[in-house]
Amino acid sequence: MNHPVPTTTNHGLKEPQKLCFETARTRRLVLGSYWTIIILAFPFWWNLTSIERIALPSYRVRAQLDRKPVFPVSVRLDASSFQGSAPTLGRALHEILAQTAQASPRWRNLDIQVGVSEHAGDQSEGPNVYSVVLGNHTAVRHPRQVVVSQEDASSTLRLGNILSSLLAPEVTSMQAQRIAQYAKRYRLAFTLLNENAASPHLVNSWDIQTALAGKFFRFIYHVFPIISRLDVLHNFTVESQVQYHAPLAFEPLQFAVANNTLHGLTPEDLTVFINSAEWTLSSSVSNDPVLHFVLFIPSPAQQPLHILDAHGLPTRQNAFLLPQWGGIFILNRHARAATMTHLTAADLVPVFSAFANQLSALLGVPPLPDGMMSEESSLLSDWQLDALLRYRTSENMLGSQQTLYSIIKLVDQIENMPVDQKVRGDVHDALTALGEAYRSAMGSPATALRWSSEALSLASHAFFNPGMLALLYFPAEHKYAVYTPLFASVSVPLIVALGREVYGWRRERQVVRSG
Amino acid sequence: MGRKTAAFVLSLFVAPVISSTSNSSDSKPRFSIAGERYHEDLIIQPLRDGRVISTFTFTTLLEGVSPRDPWELETPAQHYTLFPLTLGQILREYSITELHLSLNAGKWNYDNWGYPEDPSVSTGAELWAWMADGGPMSIDERWTSLRNALAGLFCASLGSLDSRRTSSPYSAFPLSSVSSLKISFQYALRHATLPSEHVCTENLTPFLKLLPCKSHTGLARLLNPQRLFDADWHGLGVHVLSTDRGLELRLGVQAVLDPVRESGGKRRDWSFQSLFDRSIDAACPVSSRSTARVVIPDDDGYRLSPELLLGDKSMAIYDLTSQVPLDISMLWPNEHPFPFPPTHTGPLAPLSIKRALHGFSQTHGVLSVALSNNEYGDITIGYLETLPALVTLWMHTIKAEVRGTQRDDLISDISYHPSLLQSNGRYGPSVLQVRLTVPAKSALRLSIDITKTFLKYTEHPPDAMRGWDLPPAVLFPVLIDGPVKYMVNDSFVDGIGTRDRHRTIPHRMYTPTLLVDLPTPDFSMPYNVIILSCTLVTLIFGSIFNLLTRKWAIVKVEE
Repeated sequence: MNHPVPTTTNHGLKEPQKLCFETARTRRLVLGSYWTIIILAFPFWWNLTSIERIALPSYRVRAQLDRKPVFPVSVRLDASSFQGSAPTLGRALHEILAQTAQASPRWRNLDIQVGVSEHAGDQSEGPNVYSVVLGNHTAVRHPRQVVVSQEDASSTLRLGNILSSLLAPEVTSMQAQRIAQYAKRYRLAFTLLNENAASPHLVNSWDIQTALAGKFFRFIYHVFPIISRLDVLHNFTVESQVQYHAPLAFEPLQFAVANNTLHGLTPEDLTVFINSAEWTLSSSVSNDPVLHFVLFIPSPAQQPLHILDAHGLPTRQNAFLLPQWGGIFILNRHARAATMTHLTAADLVPVFSAFANQLSALLGVPPLPDGMMSEESSLLSDWQLDALLRYRTSENMLGSQQTLYSIIKLVDQIENMPVDQKVRGDVHDALTALGEAYRSAMGSPATALRWSSEALSLASHAFFNPGMLALLYFPAEHKYAVYTPLFASVSVPLIVALGREVYGWRRERQVVRSG
Repeated sequence: MGRKTAAFVLSLFVAPVISSTSNSSDSKPRFSIAGERYHEDLIIQPLRDGRVISTFTFTTLLEGVSPRDPWELETPAQHYTLFPLTLGQILREYSITELHLSLNAGKWNYDNWGYPEDPSVSTGAELWAWMADGGPMSIDERWTSLRNALAGLFCASLGSLDSRRTSSPYSAFPLSSVSSLKISFQYALRHATLPSEHVCTENLTPFLKLLPCKSHTGLARLLNPQRLFDADWHGLGVHVLSTDRGLELRLGVQAVLDPVRESGGKRRDWSFQSLFDRSIDAACPVSSRSTARVVIPDDDGYRLSPELLLGDKSMAIYDLTSQVPLDISMLWPNEHPFPFPPTHTGPLAPLSIKRALHGFSQTHGVLSVALSNNEYGDITIGYLETLPALVTLWMHTIKAEVRGTQRDDLISDISYHPSLLQSNGRYGPSVLQVRLTVPAKSALRLSIDITKTFLKYTEHPPDAMRGWDLPPAVLFPVLIDGPVKYMVNDSFVDGIGTRDRHRTIPHRMYTPTLLVDLPTPDFSMPYNVIILSCTLVTLIFGSIFNLLTRKWAIVKVEE
């Protein structure tokens, strides 16, 4: 029935293939124009439906990962007091200190140089220069000086130990867990909790403002000196409140000792001591972390309240610390102070010395080594402050490196996550701040700390950008369900027609070649 | 900056020194910590229809303290004993001069219940704050942060009181803090209402944590959420004002309880135990004054116990510091059963209000307000209507009618702000403020045409068929002599005392809320619409394409 070659028959009609609008060429042009428009429109569609993902500088971030800050420290032995033994002592010390620094994972980035100088003890030379002077006792002096006694200086090992514990203090993992996360501003919230306000010995008020002022007649409170000394690291906002009903969520243990009933808190009770549901402890209006200091006065039915050790025996301690949260002091009443409605400045001295110790532990202030005295006028020596600065700086830099790397890995892994200009800007700024921190680590640790905290906050800001979560849940099935009814049904005739034309064209060429 | 904030005593505070004063008449010393003072008060008023209004007020006064200057860059150290620290932090952080927050549920029936002790009885959440202008944060930024901070503190969704619901009606909510404010500052008001907010136990719990004695001792012991939220009307209020003695924080709980309903319609006897299921065991040791006052009803058939020792003919006063444990009860021994009062007894407020939205179409309607004057003299009031952009008021159709005759002379001082497009792409509310005079013993009907908007598909709430709540309108007292004064820049309006009480209402009144039914699309159709339109497009495309690319051939058909 199909005549491959058109022949004229006597039906009188024109051959369809001869009509100008039915020629094969016209048909192919029409089909070609459809396909051209589709191909031209394809990039527009792709652009308009893709998620904004701006390129992040992942190469720079990966290169950063291995960089560690280097803190140069220079120790000078005073030639005038050490006399001739100074150079040999210096060389031996250098060996010991370099070994200690390499061995400790925390302080591997300390670069300690030991030298000898004349009259090293007389003036302070710079932020990273420390001097050792021979004297008749062992003590720390301002500025950045340590006086060693004869017997300590006689053994190089002992001298090396003293210097390494001052420059690179070791911190146990338990102590490290207590230290609160670095923040530029802390809120210190002091709370006086009365367990039961119905008791006749309700404490109404306390001389907190005198206690925070630092010095009152002959009483010295240590919280304010610590706060003002740590000014270079953090800013502090102080607030206080008094609560009149603060019931405990559990019953303390009761046991009888020598005709008295005593009440005690087991170590498990200490972990659940804070009854956050019923006590209104300070919650901040801003994002700054809060360190709580609670003075708890038990109800008369539960006085005196002791802290028990692991064997169930009462200890002499009255205060305990909750890691990264704050500290608690339990104030039991003395028999003579029967009506104590106001805590005077004298009553608060033991309380605030406990709070001062807890504050130092929470902020990571390294203690002086055992047996060493301090001849400085302030509570924290320069050695401790410098060690804390270096510790915080390296911690911040490590934190920002890891955060930046996590951003890069996350963005690579999740295809649907949008990345906008702000995230890219923050990552760039964080990398710049990190670079500045490395550079200033050579100079003053305080500047390095500022840059490193800037880098950490920028990296966290980029990581927690809310715009990154927008399109996370967008399953592919929805996309197919919307596109299929239109595109599939439109593409079928296009593809079939294309196939038919190609087949026909190939057959024609065969015929032309063979015929 | 850190050094200063760390420890020094702020000059605004007075160092607390204990001073216990003991009156000669009672043996227990009254506690007062100089610098902070706390007292609590309960007023119980039995009504003629058997209901009982109970109003709790807990007031903390910070003596000698004025609101923080917005130009101060450092957040000072704050030391409180009685004042709640969490609220104090919020007030200091955003330099708030005056703050009023109320969370209410129910409709306050002015006709049968009279005026409430605390005039903020708007249904839902209402928040308004006066702030001094200046400083690094703008007023709107501080308003947004204040809303979010209070939403976190009270577990209420105050964050949705955003720019779509915020307006600044200066005459209706004047600044009542007085001369301790600095005249050189400009003060701005922000007011927002959310009528669909519910109040429940999770708002009461943080509210009670702001009190020194919480809910263990004192009057707050009676606040039993099971009974309180079963009341016909209940509400919580937080008011912060600056008075000439210092900063005053007033926390209030109001409830209209119904002992007749509890007893099955028979008796209207009440006691603390029957109303609240609790009685007061101990007084709050840190309050300088705790009183419970009972309003004596007019009729005589009652018996009040414990017998009143203090007070006059109209009010019985009980002092909690000397009379604990306390369980006040009022009995009507001769009523079997309680006869409800006849319906034609006069209303207890000078104005009765009815507000309604007429119209059965989904595009337009008529907002009509009927104010009935129950007094023998004319009453002039201000009427404030704040409507979100869902409805549009057409001001050329505003009409006032008394008994069928149009009386345009009764409307004056019309101020209308239409709903404007703001910089964040949303529309602000439209604010209408009118001064109305209602003639004696007659009803004034105000009506305005409205049209309803057609919202975008994504703007509808989850239960779209319910409709949207429109905030209540506010009737506020005005100065009779001369035009209504707006006090923003130069001077402050004087207190209510100079307003002529007989010719205007003594306090703010709120109308009921309205429910507006907006046109909603059919939410179930998106995928079907996609399929239908794709099919149509494909059919058309297919036909045209076939016509263009079909190959015709002539086929000989055998006969």
